[in-house]
Amino acid sequence: MVLSSARYQVDDLQAAQEFFHSRKWTDGLPVVPPTPAAVEACLEWGMLPPDQLIGIEPVRGRAITAEKLAVNAVMAGCLPMHFPVVVTAMTAMLQDEFLLHGATASTGGCAVLLVVNGPIRRELGMDGTFNALAASDRATMTIGRAVRLALYNLLDVRPGEVDRSTLGHPGKVSYCIAEDEENTTWRPLAEERGVPEHASAVTVMAAGAPRQLMNEWTTRPEEILATFVAEMKANMRHYSIWAGNYAIVVPPQLRTHFEAAGWSKADVRRYVFEHARIRRRDWADCGKGSVVNDRGDKEYAALRSADDLLVIAAGGPAGGFGAVIPPWLGAKSSAVTMAIGACLDCGPQTA
Amino acid sequence: MSIEFLDPTHEAVAAEFTAPRRLATLAGATVGIVSNGKYGTKPFFDAFERELVERHGVAKVVRRTKSNYSAPADAAIMAEAGAWDALIAGIGD
Repeated sequence: MVLSSARYQVDDLQAAQEFFHSRKWTDGLPVVPPTPAAVEACLEWGMLPPDQLIGIEPVRGRAITAEKLAVNAVMAGCLPMHFPVVVTAMTAMLQDEFLLHGATASTGGCAVLLVVNGPIRRELGMDGTFNALAASDRATMTIGRAVRLALYNLLDVRPGEVDRSTLGHPGKVSYCIAEDEENTTWRPLAEERGVPEHASAVTVMAAGAPRQLMNEWTTRPEEILATFVAEMKANMRHYSIWAGNYAIVVPPQLRTHFEAAGWSKADVRRYVFEHARIRRRDWADCGKGSVVNDRGDKEYAALRSADDLLVIAAGGPAGGFGAVIPPWLGAKSSAVTMAIGACLDCGPQTA
Repeated sequence: MSIEFLDPTHEAVAAEFTAPRRLATLAGATVGIVSNGKYGTKPFFDAFERELVERHGVAKVVRRTKSNYSAPADAAIMAEAGAWDALIAGIGD
């Protein structure tokens, strides 16, 4: 295997760390030095030649190759078996509708949320239960970080360079969730979004920080969702009124009530679409009266359609908590779901 | 024992280009202003347009606004820009 990246040599691990930090090649955390052997192992696992084109960032026209993505995955701490998820996530992010450049350059400061579905979660030891939204396990943590480091080094998305975020949020370090498919009767997110049953997939979304909520005082689906809807309406009032993809994360304690009442994810989406709406005049009582103008009665929905809502089953077994994950900014970026390891140019097996 | 590792950056060589020659004067020129469309841009560019015309003798100011302030300018705007003597791309929050 012929790798084309420039090679460097230093005396020891400490020197390697300083080498990366001094060049702004890392996010402030230590990295695993991307040795040629480690990078080759990733490429071999993914069955990708080094010069395989993962995609081209549409705005700046910059090509991303498998080799360069593997280098960053190794740095983030990924094992070779994690690499196919990183490849699929980056491929999804490079689709036009994701608007990667805008999402990563914006002052709005979103991060790329990854949601992983399918058998690969278990193969990689991903955990969608305890602490599901933050450092729940090795695979989600390193895969999320690999995406961030790739943005740093392949698209110059460093703070103050392409990344113009005013604040950003902690999800920029790593923002990867595995859906808890085992402890629910709900269909997996990827399947809801068109990926065949039992296939592994990644969904990417340009996402704000999770807004945590709690309602442990009802078993009625409508009342539980009223709390989620209130949080979405708060985001519309305080951050952005524009409709787009929202994600909601529903833990087992709350899912029990939906499942007992026979509510599917589709039922949840429909309810939220119908109820997550505000009027422009609602801006007036949170300091934004100057932009209500003469359109106070105009109604705004959080979602363009029920399909805009990504319903994710995840979280530890106890606690009536949940989270709303808002979009970067309305529908400027659309969530993309892509199957992992799908061969686009393979013909049907005949033997 | 030393460690050998690979460069994680794109290592791409930037395409060469030649910057256009600066205008000798703005007097009589057609100048385009492409706004990102954010709320704060309008009063700023209103004042800017007046300055261009009144102080620098610009013959015509063409104002255009991108349809998506987080994306590159629309193809129609860029096609139109070919007829302008100068283009000012403005962003604002």
